[in-house]
Order: sequence, then structure tokens, then C-alpha cells
Amino acid sequence: MTDTERDEKVAAGYRALRSEEPPPALDEAILTAARKRPSQWRVPLSIAAVLVLAVGVTLRMLPQRPEAESVALAPQVMQTPRPAASAPAPARELARPAAGAEAAAEVAAADALAESRMRSDIAAKPTSRASAAPAPPAAGAGAETNVLAGKMAKAELSPQAWLERIAELRKQGRTREAEESLAEFRKRYPDYRIPEPPR
Amino acid sequence: MLAYRRGEAGAFEALYARHKGPLYRFVLRSVKERALAEELYQEIWMRVIESRGRYAVQAKFTTWLYTIAHHRLTDHWRKRGLQLVDAEGADAVGHRSFEPEPRAEGRQDLQRLAAALAALPELQRETFLLHEEAGMTLAEIAVATGATQEAAKSRLRYALARLREALGDD
Repeated sequence: MTDTERDEKVAAGYRALRSEEPPPALDEAILTAARKRPSQWRVPLSIAAVLVLAVGVTLRMLPQRPEAESVALAPQVMQTPRPAASAPAPARELARPAAGAEAAAEVAAADALAESRMRSDIAAKPTSRASAAPAPPAAGAGAETNVLAGKMAKAELSPQAWLERIAELRKQGRTREAEESLAEFRKRYPDYRIPEPPR
Repeated sequence: MLAYRRGEAGAFEALYARHKGPLYRFVLRSVKERALAEELYQEIWMRVIESRGRYAVQAKFTTWLYTIAHHRLTDHWRKRGLQLVDAEGADAVGHRSFEPEPRAEGRQDLQRLAAALAALPELQRETFLLHEEAGMTLAEIAVATGATQEAAKSRLRYALARLREALGDD
């Protein structure tokens, strides 16, 4: 059979069967959707969201530096109510009466930096600094990171790598996850040719 | 499609008018349930609309459209736990019910043809419909379905043989 060969009888019979058309309401719904202009901010917002996630995950995954300063100060912060955080600046200003406004500003900035480091250290390592701190928040943060990392990994995967990942899920018997991932893949790459699995 | 991508809504309407009937029948005859067919049909067009920004001229629009449709239907079969397999040379499920009948003209022939088409294995029916409804060549069908041209040719050959048989034209 060549490309141009057809079975005219079958073709004619089939043509006689062709009468179905989509209902007008369906036509209208699709045409209405097509007339909507895509949001101009959609792509920039997506990129911004990915960048924010990437920075957040990277910061969380950075190894914590053992800074003596923050380690020493952490217990004080745990015991001190939050409003007292602004107290050190005036105190240091008093200790250096000869210093001008610029010096005071530098001191305030240094204090703010030290405080922000303490906060991030405390947030990142609650169990290492306070022995009474419960474990679940740390586990929750780790799980959150894993989910984010998974999403990020997926966002950065090439189509081929993504498909390999889906195949791996299938091998592991995680069929549902594989199907969901495949559905997501199809949405993202609707015209990507996926090789059929060997039979 | 490129005109639509540039923001000309009228271009989409022209495309839609040209392809709506064949695509609708392609989906309807594939899944055989009207409500489900309408849902899938709408989803396919929505994917076309959403993908307009990524559309590149690598093939005819028809091939691109039916590639999307093929993927959507494949997802549908997988979700239902069905696997698309080639049943070349084998009798399809239900095929036995089409025993040769005395030759009749007109409506009865068409009914038998419709029943035989519904009883074809999915891949053979898909190939036949892409050929008859979308007017695609074997090369285009191969691209849209991710198969080789030889496989597409073979599927079409088996489909036609069965449909001919249903018409009493062995």
C-alpha cells in the first residue's frame, strides 16, 4: 500500500458516517478562551518565583559556619524578649561619646547584622542551640526543603532527564507518582515525542 | 498558528473552524462516550491555546494538533489502566461478533462499518481516523503517534482489511 492508495469503498462508507460536530456551547467556550490575551506578567512572574525558590533553597542548603559569636549569643537571645533587640545600639553609643553620627550608624548596622545572623542561626539549627527545643519543627523544615528541592529539580530537568526520572519511578513501583509526573510533563511539553515503552 | 501566536484572534477562529469537526470525531470515535469526548476535545484545544507561545514551525499545524490529541488520549487510556498495544494480525476484542452477513446496501452497511470501526484495536482505529478524518499521510501519522512509518502503514493496512470485511468486501 502506498501513501496515496486508499480503499475507496471504506473511505466512502466512512464519509457517510461523518456527521458529528462539537456542540455550539463547546465551540463558544473554546473560542472565548482563545480570545483571552495571555497575561504579560505571567512569564516574568514565573521566572521571579523560580528565582526566589532557588535562592531560598540554596540558602537553606548552605553549610552552617560555626561562628563563635553567634553561638555565644544565641542563649541570650533565647532568653531575651524580642523588644530588647534595639537596646544595644544606644548602649554602645553611650560607651563611645566621642564618636559622631556616622560611627553610631555603623554600630547600629553591625548590631543589626549580628542580630540577623543570630536569628538565622536559631531558625536553621533549633535543636543544636537549645536542647529543650522539640524536634518536629526541624523535621518539618527538612521535609519542606525536600519538596522544594524536588520541585526545583523537576523545573530544571531536561525533557529527557524528566522522562528518565518517570521511568525510574515506574521501576520502583511508584506508578501513581509516575503517572502524575507524566501528566505534568505532557502539559509542559505537549508536542514532545515520548518513545513507547518496549513490549 | 503563527498569526494567532502574534495575537491575531481571528487566525485561531479560522484554524478552529477548519479542524473542529475532524478532531471532534477523532476523539469521539476513540473514546466512544460523548461527554468524555467533549471533555477531552476541550482539553486538547486548551493545550493548543496554552502552548501558542511555544509553537514553532517544525511540522504542519495538523500534525502538531494531532500529536497533542494523541498524547492526551494516551494519558486517558493509561489512567484507565489500558495499554495501547498493536494487535496486528490478531482479532480485536469483539471482532468475532462481526460474522459475515448477507450483503446489504445502504444503512446496514454503514452500521456494520461503524461497529467494525468501534471494535478495532485503539492504535489501528487511531491510524485509520488520522488518515480519513485528518487527511494525514503515513509519514505525518508516524510523527503524530511517535511510531515508525512502517508501523503506521501496517496498522492502517489491518484496519482497512477489517473494515472491508465488515462491508462484506473480502
